[in-house]
Amino acid sequence: MKKKLSLILAASVALGMVLTGCGGGGNENPGKALGDTAAAAGESTEAAGNTGGETSGADTAGFMIDVLNADIQTADVHKTSKDYTVPTNIYDRLVEIEVDDAGASKIVPSLAENWEISGDGLEYTFHLRQGVKFQNGNDFTAEDVAYTFERLLTVEGGVNTELLDQVKGAAELIDGSADTLEGVEVVDDYTVKVTLKEPFAAFLSCLTAPGLSIYDSEATEVAGDQFGMDPAVTVGTGPFRFAEWTFNDHLTLVRNEDYWNGAAGLPGVVIKIIPDTETQTMMFESGELDLIDLDFVSDAADRFLATYPDQIVQGPRVGITYFTMNFNIEPFQDVKVRKAVQMAIDRQAILDALYGGRGQVEHGIYPYGLIGFNDGQTKISYDPEGAKALLAEAGYSDGFTMELAADASASDTVTMALEIIKEQLAAVGINAEIKNYDESTWLETRKAGELGSFMSTWTADFNDPENFIYTFFGNEEKTRIRSINYPDTAVMARVSGARGIVNEDERLAEYQALEEKLIHEDAAWVPMYSRMHLWAVSKRIENFKPVWSGVSDRNYYGVSLSE
Amino acid sequence: MLNRVAKRIIISIPVLFGVMLAIFIMLRLVPGDPVTTMLGEHVNPAVIEKISREMGLDQPLYIQFFKYVANALRGDFGTSYRLNRNVTGIILEAFPNTVKLSLLAAAVAWLIGIVSGIVAAIRQNKILDRLFMGGALIGVSMPVFMTALVLQYGFAFKLKWFPVSGFDSVQAMVLPAIVLGWNSAGSIARMTRSNLVEVMQNDFIRTARAKGLREHGVIIGHALKNAMLPVITMMALQLSSMLSGAVLTESVFGVPGIGRLAVNAIENRDMPLLQGTVIFTTILVILGNLIADLLYNVLDPRIREGA
Amino acid sequence: MADVKDRQNLAEGKAAAFVEADKTEISNTSRQVKIEQDVSDQLGEEDTWRDQLMTLVRQNKLAAFSAVVIGLIILAAIFAPVVAPYDYLAQSLTDRLKDPGAAHWLGTDELGRDVLSRIIYGARISLTIGLVPTLISMAIGTILGLCAGFYGGKTDFIIMRLADVMLAFPSLLLAMVVMYTMGGGLINIFIALSLVNWAGTARIVRSQTLSLKEKEFVEAARSIGVKKWTIMFRHILPNCIPSLIVLFTLNIPSAILSEASLSFLGIGAQPPSASWGLMVVRGKKYLFSEPWLSIAPSVAIMIVVLAFNFLGDGLRDVLDPYLKEQ
Repeated sequence: MKKKLSLILAASVALGMVLTGCGGGGNENPGKALGDTAAAAGESTEAAGNTGGETSGADTAGFMIDVLNADIQTADVHKTSKDYTVPTNIYDRLVEIEVDDAGASKIVPSLAENWEISGDGLEYTFHLRQGVKFQNGNDFTAEDVAYTFERLLTVEGGVNTELLDQVKGAAELIDGSADTLEGVEVVDDYTVKVTLKEPFAAFLSCLTAPGLSIYDSEATEVAGDQFGMDPAVTVGTGPFRFAEWTFNDHLTLVRNEDYWNGAAGLPGVVIKIIPDTETQTMMFESGELDLIDLDFVSDAADRFLATYPDQIVQGPRVGITYFTMNFNIEPFQDVKVRKAVQMAIDRQAILDALYGGRGQVEHGIYPYGLIGFNDGQTKISYDPEGAKALLAEAGYSDGFTMELAADASASDTVTMALEIIKEQLAAVGINAEIKNYDESTWLETRKAGELGSFMSTWTADFNDPENFIYTFFGNEEKTRIRSINYPDTAVMARVSGARGIVNEDERLAEYQALEEKLIHEDAAWVPMYSRMHLWAVSKRIENFKPVWSGVSDRNYYGVSLSE
Repeated sequence: MLNRVAKRIIISIPVLFGVMLAIFIMLRLVPGDPVTTMLGEHVNPAVIEKISREMGLDQPLYIQFFKYVANALRGDFGTSYRLNRNVTGIILEAFPNTVKLSLLAAAVAWLIGIVSGIVAAIRQNKILDRLFMGGALIGVSMPVFMTALVLQYGFAFKLKWFPVSGFDSVQAMVLPAIVLGWNSAGSIARMTRSNLVEVMQNDFIRTARAKGLREHGVIIGHALKNAMLPVITMMALQLSSMLSGAVLTESVFGVPGIGRLAVNAIENRDMPLLQGTVIFTTILVILGNLIADLLYNVLDPRIREGA
Repeated sequence: MADVKDRQNLAEGKAAAFVEADKTEISNTSRQVKIEQDVSDQLGEEDTWRDQLMTLVRQNKLAAFSAVVIGLIILAAIFAPVVAPYDYLAQSLTDRLKDPGAAHWLGTDELGRDVLSRIIYGARISLTIGLVPTLISMAIGTILGLCAGFYGGKTDFIIMRLADVMLAFPSLLLAMVVMYTMGGGLINIFIALSLVNWAGTARIVRSQTLSLKEKEFVEAARSIGVKKWTIMFRHILPNCIPSLIVLFTLNIPSAILSEASLSFLGIGAQPPSASWGLMVVRGKKYLFSEPWLSIAPSVAIMIVVLAFNFLGDGLRDVLDPYLKEQ
């Protein structure tokens, strides 16, 4: 009996060892890709070693503990359009955006100390900061800027090419008819001149986008496709360096002691990857986290506000939630119907129900917090009776049936908003039916211009109204791929033309006039609301500020721990 | 014996091939263009076309499949769309965690299952029987993620016995292992119970009792011995459902394992990663069954003699 | 012989050691005798069923009680509009997240809908999710299992390798792949769960067919020229029914749980429908402030799953010596 049991036990242990052995052995597999992984693992251990310990037991004392609910894909901003937390902290941009307490923002020098813009708005000459070093010791020069811009447009798997669309020669470089980027000229080691193909007033704002972080030409080229993947070879000039990355578990950033603008207050940051938001909540409340993005636990935000009133940090999430009405779908050709829908949706009630009223109802295209936001524009009021009257005028006194297109991958709150909208539309006699799409079908149908009404949020890539109005109403293609199909080509020509207006006041005035025309005269969409972005921080965190951005990325420079 | 091993392995090969074919076909039925979905909003159509070409998505399906199989045989499951890295590498990194979790969970399942099964069998159809069987079955009757959250809330958050999440210390592994193990304990308890009930009616047990051994001694000494073997086989067969449960457990506790990769792949619509994870876990299941089968043949004298 | 037995049984997730050849033989013989009696005497069959039911009630009160619970839940689902205190879709944004009380016994959800009413209506969806895929997959599994066992040879080989392939997939992962491909929604859940579950039934039916087709009454039917399909469906299938009933009661709860898991991963039922799984997943976000939102539907799932399990166990003890070892 005993013998047999021990045999069984031995066998199960053996089974376990066989299974684990597969994993262990795999890492030593001489296959190329596997070798890379093993090498990466080795190097990251080494990196952690610098901070004084083994991977798991790394000396992260005094580090801030942050959390993300999904791991990043890469730290290479040329290949991601969303994972910007690590890039924001390990690289610098030519210029940065700074927001004062009143919410006003301005462009401030970073790697570019100052710059000149030619009178025709086409030439930007940047004078670069001298004596800046990358984390590997290389000097930062104009060559690195030129390299970075060319790489953004040509790297395999690049997804941020749009950011430099306006630079002269960008299209030629992408399609292969040119080898270099014509519009970028290295004047000397510390001067670089960028020429645009047409005036683009938002260009400077655009340069603050994390996607335009500056890379080291030498190290990035050597790193090849490991750049952004292997922390050891992913270097920038930023206040932190990328020290370690265990996929789906955590990322570690360590302070760059030689940062040109003075070393950061934090010795480092550990970013844990925890998909489950309830787990995140429990971790924060048990003191396992220093920071939690309440957008991910929005349903619990009320409770956080009540429990930790002194530990809440907030800033506007610069983005507009909008509800579309496809001009190609009956009966939305009729402006009266569109206006009726604008009036039938009680946006404040939705904001209150789903976000505890944290945010504000919007009436146009440019959300609160964005340059060009106009508090004085015409307001849309909730008026179900007026909506019914308009519908009757339009010949739909018995209502009509419409589709609410739900994207299965959208957050629960978006789906709930659609459920509420459905009820509110029913109150004025419109029979709105929720149709569920999987993500790719939703996207494809939308891009084909055939999607029914949907609700979505556009958040700012950079601080300029251009980023909003041009995206939706810039030309026929842009309005089609959003399934809006706005038909007035004259208005769209104005939208496109406004990009080249050099005088800032004139430009903003034109943008606001266009907003009035599109939203209040033509009722091209239903502006819903913009939201506040809330964070809870642990008691020991000082000076955490949300970055100016539509996205959820953090800037750790300037943060410190009180202990 | 060797002959039998060879036979079992040969039978597994077409199954493996079938698994790969099935997954391949199912994933190719996805509506929409995978590249567009994966790259998102900021990209130019020329780039999309270029990437599709690079990934061989413009070739006929059967060529794609044979390439896929040929590469898989060399241990190459392609490159993840989203993560831009080698799928095999990602899986091998996550693999040890899932194996650790599953082995610990198996131990827990065994413990809960056998103890409940024994108690239930001894007190057949009495209150204790119902209580212990019910207790063992609760783990399988709640959605796994709720069991996980409730235990996490009670033992990590309120009592602070364990960390809320993570998998980097023995302490952190306890809760995930219990959640996953409890989920499998029900079937083991049920099996142990019914085996014991039957074995106890056998002649040799009656003989043992007649010899004057105490009741519990009888059960533990004789009946258990005969009831254990099938439970071991059962454990290996539970591997499949355990790996299913691991998907959810890993998500709740933040364990960086294979299940998380499958969820990542679904969320990111990352076809190569999903393909790789599913095939890899399936290989694990086939392997587990193979080992159990052989183990069983080694341990059971009747089969040995029969062969 | 021993080798063949061993393989089949292992594959079925059975404990092979306890399905020794002679024991199976004995139970088959007694079953066959019983069946022959049944065939010759309709009344006798009814008596047997009644006897078995009475045995169930006598022997296993828990199983009988579970049957009553399931019956009540089914009734509540059917008569949901009568039983539920409110319209399950009626929102009231001013009454969001109300604590359980006199007006709303289980409180209200994030859109001010009555949780109790949603659970009662949710029973419709969750029971359908339990029932439909189970019926489909068992029908497929039964037919394929019968064919495999009866025809043997290549048919058997192909069907069983197909079953091997399906069984090799961890079921949730397979369902995830299907849902990934086809998107969420009820119909797709049915398809996913049917695809996942047929193979287990096929194996069990096959192994029973294998032993039954050697029996005298089948040989006799064959010798007088009864058609193959008639033999399969008239003579062999009825003998598999007890096992199928037990399997049925055990497959339903697993389908309900699978749906909950898929909902957790965001690829299950879609709102505004109210499956219990989806309610748990949505409610879980309020775990710390309004725990009943997730606990109530969880308990509903637990009760149904436990009830089906107890009933299944009880039925197995009474009906089906074949499956005892499972």
